[in-house]
Amino acid sequence: MNILTFFTEPFVQPFMQRAVIAGMVVGGLCAMLGVFVVQRGLSFIGDGLAHAAFGGIALGLLLGASVSSATWIALPFTVLVSLGIAFVLRRGKLRGDVATGVFFAVSFALGVLFLGLRPVTAQPVNVETVLFGSILAVGSTDLLIVLGVCALVAIVILATWTRLAYATFDPELARLSGVKVELLDYMLLALTAVVIVVAVKTVGIALVSSFVVIPAATARMLGRSLHRVALYAVAIGVGGAALGLLLSYHLNVASGATIILTLGAGFGLALALRKR
Amino acid sequence: MTDAPERESRTPRSVVPAPPYAGPRHFTLPDEAMKRVLVADRVTVELSGKRILDEVSFWIPKGEFLCLCGPNGAGKSTFLKTVLGIVRPVSGSVEILGEPAGTANKAVGYVPQRKTFDHDFPATALELIVANLRGSWPLRVTPQERDRARAVLRRVGGEKLVDKPLAGLSGGETQRVFLARALVNDPALVILDEPTAGVDVRGRQEFLDILAEISASDELAAILVTHNPAAIARCAERVVYIDGRLIAWGLPNELLGQDSLSAIAFSMKDANASLPADED
Repeated sequence: MNILTFFTEPFVQPFMQRAVIAGMVVGGLCAMLGVFVVQRGLSFIGDGLAHAAFGGIALGLLLGASVSSATWIALPFTVLVSLGIAFVLRRGKLRGDVATGVFFAVSFALGVLFLGLRPVTAQPVNVETVLFGSILAVGSTDLLIVLGVCALVAIVILATWTRLAYATFDPELARLSGVKVELLDYMLLALTAVVIVVAVKTVGIALVSSFVVIPAATARMLGRSLHRVALYAVAIGVGGAALGLLLSYHLNVASGATIILTLGAGFGLALALRKR
Repeated sequence: MTDAPERESRTPRSVVPAPPYAGPRHFTLPDEAMKRVLVADRVTVELSGKRILDEVSFWIPKGEFLCLCGPNGAGKSTFLKTVLGIVRPVSGSVEILGEPAGTANKAVGYVPQRKTFDHDFPATALELIVANLRGSWPLRVTPQERDRARAVLRRVGGEKLVDKPLAGLSGGETQRVFLARALVNDPALVILDEPTAGVDVRGRQEFLDILAEISASDELAAILVTHNPAAIARCAERVVYIDGRLIAWGLPNELLGQDSLSAIAFSMKDANASLPADED
């Protein structure tokens, strides 16, 4: 096998084409949001919202939806949880990890409760698919939904980028400069929730927070301005998803886990380069 | 700091008990004919049901450097937040150049207490200053914006800091950059909230030198919240002393030796003896 075949052969097959497009789009967008989330000390939010998404998916299953269509129940459910976290962060005197931790546990417990309440005649659920994702099973319709949702989120993020960056740097100073900090706080968490629900489909609940945190954390070590950091983070998210998928194909191992391990290796490399 | 116990012994704040409140004491007030930059009119603020400020009234003419003093918990920071429009009074009003507080933010420059930055946050002094110029974080800085940032940094003696990451600056340098940020919109009023707290002695002295230049300006008015007698001695053109209510308003030397102002009086004597305070 020559080097060109190594890169092209996997993507001859339509399911791999869909998987790589979904992975790169979700990876890039998670990374973009991750820049703000990580900078605000809310790295745990990805995990929290992913587990909230589990509660939403379980609610959908309880209501009779399939694992795939339960996403539409999980979406508003997770957005509501994210707004709840944002509200508690604003009103209460709780730190981000505490607020996230409470909502995360309650949502997950609700999910377990919902699954238990399903009638015994209901179709069994492949929990592994929910936990670890099924990027290779992304269908054409799924891909269109992923692309549509991600495009909308990306447009909102880019349109508010400079204000979001200011509010992330220092909410007090941004507010005094006329930035609607409260609105942006709610918006950021709601958009993160939307992207997390979509990302759960590809890398699963257990791994999705790495998609948010690792590219941003790696880029922070490389960039000297916030915009550079964002560019690097998106490049790492997109590149990590593509490379991880490629490696998982050739090594015949789990794709979601390989993508995250690839991102982890990139983080380790950046750390080593920074120390040098 | 090594001189802390000594200074403690020179400032027996509780030796002279404050007499019952008999209304504000007005000493020499600004010329009525002067243009007013800030007007606080019977400002009353309540936070969580507790009255923090009670009918505080005073005004600042164009170009005047005013030190706002008072004990801890006197409502100084709350007053500043009211001026900045972050806190709304339950009654009374604050106006900046005739506009309600919070609506004329470009007319007000704000220097917060020293902030510390995450060493991983990729921000430079230039970006911080331009962000205040634009009201959003700059994606790209234009040559005109760079020139303006450089000019305002030069004014505070920090031109070489323009491209430095904020995380690498000393306390004194950080506050200079924040002062430059506050001045970049050519405000009519600059608000300084204990700006040299936590700054080392050298940085504090250099910052006071810059404040003294601002004090000498006839254009720019300032409110400096400080506990630092050296700052009052060097910069104050007028002093307002509050403790929930307005206690006194007048020239710095007039507030010396007033029994009801024991705390500030002792502090001022210290200042005249050229003893720099440990902190603001």
